[in-house]
Amino acid sequence: MASYVLRRILVTIPVMAIVALFVFSLLYIAPGDPAAVIAGDQASPADVERIRQSLGLDRPFLVQFGSWLWRILHFDLGTSIFTNLPVTSMIAQRIEPTLSLMMLTLVLTLVIAVPLGVVAAWKAGSLIDRVIMAFAVSAFSLPVFVVGYVLAYVFALELEWFPVQGYTPISQGFWPWLQNLILPSIALGCVYIALIARITRASMLEVLQQDYIRTARAKGLGQRGILFVHALKNAAVPIVTVIGIGVALLIGGAVVTESVFAIPGLGRLTVDAILRRDYPVIQGVVLMFSFLYTLVNLMVDLTYTLIDPRIRY
Amino acid sequence: MSASTTSSVAIPPGLAIAKALPDLMLPVKVRRGVIGFLRNNPTVAIGGALLLTLVLIGIFAPYLWTVDPTALAPAKRTRPPSADYWFGTDALGRDVYSRVLYGTRVSLTVGLSVALLATLAGLAIGLVSGFVRWADGIVMRVMDGLMSIPPILLAIALMALTRGSVGNVIMAITVAEIPRVSRLVRGVVLSLREQAYVDAAIASGTRAPMIILRHILPNTMAPMLVQATYVCASAMIVESILSFIGAGTPPTIPSWGNIMAEGRALWQVKPYIVFFPAAFLSVTVLAVNLVGDGLRDALDPRMAKNL
Amino acid sequence: MDRRTVLKGLAGAGTLAAAGGLSMPALSQGAVARTLRFVPQADLANFDPIWGTQYVVRNAAALVWDTLYGFDDKLQPQRQMVESEEVSSDGLTWTFRLRSGLKFHDGEPVLAKDAVASLARWSARDPQGQTIKAMQNELVAVDDRTFKWVLKAPFPKMLVALAKNNAPCSFIMPERIAQTDPFKQITEYVGSGPMKFARNEWVPGAKSVFEKFTDYVPRQEPSSWLAGGKHMLLDRIEWVTIPDPATAAAALQNGEIDWWENPIPDLVPVLKKNKNVAVDIADPLGNIGVFRMNHTHPPFDNVKIRRAVLTALSQEDYMRALVGDDNALWKPLPSFFAPNTPLYSEEGGDILKQRNIDAAKKLLAEAGYANEPVSCIVAQDQPITKAQGDVTADLLKRMGMNVDFVATDWGTVGARRAQKTPHNQGGWEMFHTWHAGADCISPIGYAAIRGTGDKAWWGWPTSEKVEAEVSAWFAAKSLDEEKASIGRLNKAAMEDVIYAPTGFFLSYTAWRKNVSGIVKGPLPFMWGVSKTA
Repeated sequence: MASYVLRRILVTIPVMAIVALFVFSLLYIAPGDPAAVIAGDQASPADVERIRQSLGLDRPFLVQFGSWLWRILHFDLGTSIFTNLPVTSMIAQRIEPTLSLMMLTLVLTLVIAVPLGVVAAWKAGSLIDRVIMAFAVSAFSLPVFVVGYVLAYVFALELEWFPVQGYTPISQGFWPWLQNLILPSIALGCVYIALIARITRASMLEVLQQDYIRTARAKGLGQRGILFVHALKNAAVPIVTVIGIGVALLIGGAVVTESVFAIPGLGRLTVDAILRRDYPVIQGVVLMFSFLYTLVNLMVDLTYTLIDPRIRY
Repeated sequence: MSASTTSSVAIPPGLAIAKALPDLMLPVKVRRGVIGFLRNNPTVAIGGALLLTLVLIGIFAPYLWTVDPTALAPAKRTRPPSADYWFGTDALGRDVYSRVLYGTRVSLTVGLSVALLATLAGLAIGLVSGFVRWADGIVMRVMDGLMSIPPILLAIALMALTRGSVGNVIMAITVAEIPRVSRLVRGVVLSLREQAYVDAAIASGTRAPMIILRHILPNTMAPMLVQATYVCASAMIVESILSFIGAGTPPTIPSWGNIMAEGRALWQVKPYIVFFPAAFLSVTVLAVNLVGDGLRDALDPRMAKNL
Repeated sequence: MDRRTVLKGLAGAGTLAAAGGLSMPALSQGAVARTLRFVPQADLANFDPIWGTQYVVRNAAALVWDTLYGFDDKLQPQRQMVESEEVSSDGLTWTFRLRSGLKFHDGEPVLAKDAVASLARWSARDPQGQTIKAMQNELVAVDDRTFKWVLKAPFPKMLVALAKNNAPCSFIMPERIAQTDPFKQITEYVGSGPMKFARNEWVPGAKSVFEKFTDYVPRQEPSSWLAGGKHMLLDRIEWVTIPDPATAAAALQNGEIDWWENPIPDLVPVLKKNKNVAVDIADPLGNIGVFRMNHTHPPFDNVKIRRAVLTALSQEDYMRALVGDDNALWKPLPSFFAPNTPLYSEEGGDILKQRNIDAAKKLLAEAGYANEPVSCIVAQDQPITKAQGDVTADLLKRMGMNVDFVATDWGTVGARRAQKTPHNQGGWEMFHTWHAGADCISPIGYAAIRGTGDKAWWGWPTSEKVEAEVSAWFAAKSLDEEKASIGRLNKAAMEDVIYAPTGFFLSYTAWRKNVSGIVKGPLPFMWGVSKTA
């Protein structure tokens, strides 16, 4: 078990290295000159060259990559070109809203989607099943920002149940924190809920046809017991896989949701940085998200061993 | 069978001919051909019909009572839907109806091109990875690396490197979608390689291309086709998000994402600018998803539990 | 009252009942009443007003740093940090004496050497400052409160240069900060202005926080733009970046924010209908839309082709695309100067009054336009440039020119417009921007009107006629002489087409009715602003 965990962790290192190389090269070959942007309107070519040298942009690729990698390993993600602040502190400032949003969305999704999928599988072929699946496939097709706008308009502006925008840190109270995140979580979660519901239904359907379920029923176990204790546990592997992969969906959707609801998170930071060509920030954030994603998938892999004792590598 | 039978055989005394049993197993009507397939799988039929309609709308856009979608008339901006402007006008006075119809071309082109390119590239990479053992490790690590970067961020980052154009958007989204397809193909190849008949083929000296053609490819067709539809749907949504952020197709070419991005600020007062392209986008993505679901259910329902 | 206030009030009443004291609700409401939540026109990503010349940086800097002089609402320079000044009889030596009691946020007194270092840094970046520096003999502190600037030639517009409100303004910083290289950002944000910058609460891209500086000593005179006493009636100001205008509008209606600097014109009718929100013109000096051409290579190196653009241009199209259907928000502008200012002139501007596409096409043919491509670099993330860019693509196509539309972002525009190469080597033929009307009052601070060729603003126009009139204006001895030279300058700029003005437009600002003291001006002045609960 321990060796499996260790091996899984070791495997992530080359993956992250590839990501790092890719992220670094991406911006190395990018057009546009950050030195010129920094130098500003009134600078002369000599000034631009001075700035380029001070940023170390005139050294060969491998040297730049090497020194960058070295700094990364010391958790020094560099300094933002535009704000002159260390990237690490910028990320630290904005990670709480994004993580909160993603976690809340995840919880909401699991709480809504899994039961929906189970019910749909249980009543396969019936009206309920069709309705749930129709809803799922429709929700899967809606663009996130449209859902966001509709929710904001109806629930925040008209009904005034929730604030329209912004983020309150959890240190200022649980309910204010939750209030700001409910609408964005629902908007972000729509697609995710649909996806998980579909996968849950499909996986449950297959499990429900197995012999051991028939045995359990013959033994006289109650429906709920069968569904949630036996069937779900066995159906869990694909569901958990999709949850892991779906985190990428969440990160992508968070970008848009944060923009619509003015949440000061990493998604917005990334978009701003990319549009401004703020290289160190782009590199830092993409690295961070990739690391997060890899971590989530690692945890997913480890969860397999908990759910399914047969999976022991 | 009839209720009573006449028999040429003499019935011994004390016995009677049993009553005919009711017909429990009615003969299954076998529906053949494409029509039969469609009737068997209504989701594919509905989705396919919707998709076909949209493709036709895209192709015949100039003939569907549209005007030049880029002709601006700032004096007539943000007019609500009326007899002259079926979907109203946008912030620059352009006819939203025409823009949405012409936008169908862009969005469908992006979706279908990405699906095609990502599938072909993923197929090639997956085949190589599955067959050539020493390449497998490296290729899969690279694919894993690419997959670790959330696709939207990857697409945005790639778009930041180049100018906005339909071609560049297609390339950027394709790169983000290739890893999943290649993983899928590799999985199929790996599982098939263990099969006895493939072993036999290799043993009898069949060269690799032949093996791929005759054994591997037919088995990857089904999951790849299904995956392609999901890639298509995902690509259309990613394109709209890219345009929403401002990193997508150039504003001179109307695409649903563009139209929504330009109308987003006016959402509260002039919702139709966002509503109509959103509706078209949702319906198209829905159609593609239905086709994908239907195909998957028809070809191999067990695939339903994988992405 | 909306639901949230009722609930809050109930909660307050509940605590009151529990505590049994009458002062509690007043205190809690008071705290809210002294915090202002403001949505600026753009995000405050960096905060060095000499290094970064964006308007939002200047607006925030005006809270944290003070200036020696400041424009009042008549555009006249008035003393601010300076108690008195003296010019020698030959006009070459300016001696300034600072007011007493001026302090920096860290408690240190403001000394003449701080002013000297700050002016040195400012004059390295500001065009007007560079002119002064070029003719400077010495800039030195005489004692703790006095310093002098000795020049080689008289410069009567010295006070105007120091008082001007267009970036970079001559903000006074502590000597140690002002000694930072002018091409590098400062890292400490300490000034002597009425607000302190709460560095630890700054989230670039999302939020900036300012807190009242209790040791600030305002002047006695009534406040008038950047002049007079800056009385701060708020304890805390939060600048919140809300990227989506629809969200900002909803937040203003909901009371989640108090003041929105730049509501987009299409959302203003909704805001006007809301009984808790007030809307008014932000700055009577408005803005001028700009179609900037590259004079160094074809096709716009040919003056006839430039004039063809002026002939074909419809300012109404541009302005409507920018401000929508509200006629109060725009005016045609046959001039390069802001209307309703003392020096405004329309001389030579008839070419812009009526569009004529056929005449434009003829001019193009006469000029020998050989279908050279025109690459238009248009920033999509700035609504003003995006709207203008769309209209331009249409305009140039109608004229029969070969348009290469490059949709990009403001940062890239900033980098690319500095390139003098032709477009296929990373250069450009035209780009869009806009100038605040306050920056287009006179040749001071109006780098974009100059025709000094290589040394001019992006586009590098060369016009001896314009430069002659600029010198004439600097040497003018009376208002009438100034007006005459500006009239001739306008005409010359029209003939040589320094750039093409696309029109004059105003913008609104919107605030909740429980906020008072908001005045119209070229920047959002926060002194004198107060809020009731």
